[in-house]
Amino acid sequence: MRIKNTNDRYGIVAVTFHWLMALLVIGLLCVGLYMTSLKISAQKLQLYGWHKEFGLLVLFLVIIRLSWRFININPTLPSSIPAWQRFIAHAVQWALLGFMIAMPITGWLVTSAAGLAPSFFGLFVLPTLVAPDDHLRHVFADMHEWIAYGLIATICAHVGAALKHHFIDKDDVLRRMLP
Amino acid sequence: MKVRVISQSIIVAALFCLSAPVFAAPTWKIIPADSSLTFTATQNNAPITGSFKKFTGNIQFDPADLKSSRVEIDVDIASVTAGDSQVADTLKTKDWFNVTVFPHAVFKATDFVKTGDKKYEAKGVLTIRAKTIPMVLVFNLDDYAANKAHATGSTTLQRTQFGVGQGDWSKTDAIKDDVRVDFIISATK
Repeated sequence: MRIKNTNDRYGIVAVTFHWLMALLVIGLLCVGLYMTSLKISAQKLQLYGWHKEFGLLVLFLVIIRLSWRFININPTLPSSIPAWQRFIAHAVQWALLGFMIAMPITGWLVTSAAGLAPSFFGLFVLPTLVAPDDHLRHVFADMHEWIAYGLIATICAHVGAALKHHFIDKDDVLRRMLP
Repeated sequence: MKVRVISQSIIVAALFCLSAPVFAAPTWKIIPADSSLTFTATQNNAPITGSFKKFTGNIQFDPADLKSSRVEIDVDIASVTAGDSQVADTLKTKDWFNVTVFPHAVFKATDFVKTGDKKYEAKGVLTIRAKTIPMVLVFNLDDYAANKAHATGSTTLQRTQFGVGQGDWSKTDAIKDDVRVDFIISATK
């Protein structure tokens, strides 16, 4: 497999980013939904700690991934796909990237408003973005939650479309992203 | 004659006793607006700070008379603040400070040592949740004038020694054992 993307498939860097981030994002969504349902405990706090660290990792990775995307060509979709489907496919991809930036930033705002600076895997501590504020914490937490629901819906659309191409249209759209 | 000597010595002794408080370290009153008691703990590898908004003190201190100096600080645990209200509310619960059962923390020191220019150590005992543990505070006496004194200092304690964090909370992965305490005391006579 090529390192860079070609006209008909993704290169190893893009493929690695795609599946690594899929794993991280889905894991974060599951942990996020679970941890917020718990009553306050040491375990809950520990999960929040991991959630923040891996969330910041996603923010860091998505920036590198976007940079890689900008200096690369993207494989073109098969000519059989109608224009409106191309438009939606790209809109969904950009929405996913947007959500992957919006999620960690709103999460960082939640923990900032709670007066809890996030650590990046014990390597360094990030600054808080706002002063502790109960009202703001609720506002940011609601935003974080609703963006998460939006992200889940968008992931479903993305996965659904990929599977439709693979199993119904029997084209190479999904295969282009497989290792 | 003998009676006179005895009575004279009694008078001298009585005078000495009466005058003794004059030689004792002066009593200082804390100025709450210019004083603070904050703490910094570590949660998920990042610092979290909080403070106790209310504390009172019984301070007799004179750098020239450390022997008769004594300090007693009484902290109103219910006045704790940290991060947002969620954190403060948790700290008041049974597993943490258990504020309904242990509403006060007290630091008492009678042993003061000068360690350098304006630098002192106060050796005493700290009581939290009815557990009393020896504790040394280091402080800087930034200002000591006739009617105003200003000291800043700190110490580091281990929260689990006092049982602050019961059950699962006594594990120190998510919340470290060490808690740094910083204080600023502004006082007037």
